[in-house]
Amino acid sequence: MSNWIRSLNNSVVKAVRQNGLYLILSVASFVVFITVWWLASAWLHGDWPFEGRSPVITAEYLPYPWVVVHAFFDSFTHPDPFSDLYMGDHVYSSMKRIASGFALAFVTAVPLGLLMGRSRKAEAVLNPEAELFRPIPPLAWVPIFTIAIGFVWGPIVIVFMGIFFPVLLSVRLGAKSVDPLLIDAARTLGANRLQIFTKVVLPYTTPYLMTGVKVGIGIGWMCIVAAEMLGAVGGGVGWYIWGTAQVARYDLMYAGMVTIGLLSILTTGVAGFLEQRLYKWMGTK
Amino acid sequence: MDKKIVISVGVAVIVVIAAIAAALILGEQDDKVDKTGTVYYITVPPKDMRASLSTGDIDGYISWEPYVSDSIVGGVGVILEWSDEIMPNHPCCVVAVSNSFSGGPNGPDLTSRFIRAHMDATVWMNNALSHTSSADYDLLVSMAMDFTQRNETVVKAAFDHIEYGYEMNTGFRSALEDFTDMYIETNMTTNESLASRGYSSASDFVTKYVNGTYLSTAGSVSPSDTILNPSNPIRLGYLLGDLHQMAQVVAQNTSVLGTGKSMFQKYGLNIADATGAPFANGGAEMNGFAAGAVDIGYLGAPPAILNHLNAGVGTTIVAQANSEGSGIVVAAGSGIVNLDGLVNKTIATPGPSSIQFLLLKIALQREGYDLKIKT
Repeated sequence: MSNWIRSLNNSVVKAVRQNGLYLILSVASFVVFITVWWLASAWLHGDWPFEGRSPVITAEYLPYPWVVVHAFFDSFTHPDPFSDLYMGDHVYSSMKRIASGFALAFVTAVPLGLLMGRSRKAEAVLNPEAELFRPIPPLAWVPIFTIAIGFVWGPIVIVFMGIFFPVLLSVRLGAKSVDPLLIDAARTLGANRLQIFTKVVLPYTTPYLMTGVKVGIGIGWMCIVAAEMLGAVGGGVGWYIWGTAQVARYDLMYAGMVTIGLLSILTTGVAGFLEQRLYKWMGTK
Repeated sequence: MDKKIVISVGVAVIVVIAAIAAALILGEQDDKVDKTGTVYYITVPPKDMRASLSTGDIDGYISWEPYVSDSIVGGVGVILEWSDEIMPNHPCCVVAVSNSFSGGPNGPDLTSRFIRAHMDATVWMNNALSHTSSADYDLLVSMAMDFTQRNETVVKAAFDHIEYGYEMNTGFRSALEDFTDMYIETNMTTNESLASRGYSSASDFVTKYVNGTYLSTAGSVSPSDTILNPSNPIRLGYLLGDLHQMAQVVAQNTSVLGTGKSMFQKYGLNIADATGAPFANGGAEMNGFAAGAVDIGYLGAPPAILNHLNAGVGTTIVAQANSEGSGIVVAAGSGIVNLDGLVNKTIATPGPSSIQFLLLKIALQREGYDLKIKT
């Protein structure tokens, strides 16, 4: 584990050295974003530098950045107004759902994607269902899943629906895109079907798989509010956002939104780091 | 390379299985029994409560009518306590008006006329409900069936537990003050929010937020032969299938008076559903008020209070719509006969900002029990 941490540290230092300009641009972009947010809020509130302007009612819907930052830290040290749970408890509940939904999506989407990518018959059988269900927003499934499957697994399955299709489609695309010349070459060298699969198809598909995983995790977090809106046992960040919005505690609502953003960055970042380690280990980079 | 791939796939499968196992184990740990006198709640939309009760996902629920009678009539649940046993004459739904509407051109006159129609509709309903063999009663039941999408038996049973009224007496104001104090106590709103809206206390807030002027002036409103706002209809907000808000259904119906006109039309009003109506809950309706999409609306008192204090939504409560009409239901055959039986059980509520959540909390606190989210 310590080697991994050392490696991560080295990677960060190296990235800073090599990508200094890009880092500065990213920081500048974030500063601009916060400034625009502050100005928009000041404009709505009629505060400096827009003192002459009368505040509008919708100002309450866009609190100042520092109000949200305060609410964010406060949410970890004070329980929420409804459940006596702290933000840490909500994060834990949501992470459990994301992890479980991801695990379910991974074990089902990867084999199905490989199958669809390498077998035209399988694709013909599975593609209509995939295309039929893919565009349905997870929110539409909420009443069905929470009632039919229950309050523990219902939210997990909603997250699963969000992660499943990006992984499935990416893996299918990867498996379909394998250069036939590589397969012919392997066959010429005497490789059997299993060896072709493990030595050619799987390595070729891995970058697509990892792209699908990263996109899927992001979408999984996008589904968390819908997943936890109703009947979420143990709360969750999505439940927290929905609940605070219902009572117009918008400072807390934004704090929940910031938390989801940070969790998404964290989990997608971990997936990206693992991706790099995987490529290195496989010798493809 | 070959071995590495096989190992990597193997490790991935093990990780995935471990994650599922961990989730299952953690889930089981979360279900451990607590013997400290706690009742657990989760949030479920009222329309889904009966189904959740029948599947055993919840042990009971608290909701408004007709979702209470829905389970009782269907044999899925039995009543544990009606809300009047928890808090007699407790306020529930109210009529709120947008301050920008009531303060705008013709706003006071149009609001008074609206309230007059609301009063007439309430009187008509109470009269119909007290004569269950009358044609008016049949018409009311028919309208309620259409509005709630529930059958006749459910609707008739539900009517027995709702008190329709428009007056805002001392008890009404006192209850709203208690609710506000409870919201401050639980941090759903704060004294700072109260002060920032210009109120010195919960009592001062209720005094100013509840405006009885329109009820006073509505009595002298005369019918109008012409529609006074033909091109600018009053945009009406109300909740989906909420039987507590039947007054607006009655006031819009053109069969009630037998003149071909609705009660709103009788007083010269053109009414249209606000964009977004019927709303899923009071919070959504208050967002409609904030967005300037709702002029007058029926909703629960708590979301009106909380959204006004926390987000400054410019509304005022101008009439009551109903009191009581909620109840705690437990699964039929569960053996639960009193609140003690709810300890360690899971009870669904429409959400922490609902009046039903407050009533459940009040009932349990009285017995010395805590209400906590199901974990």
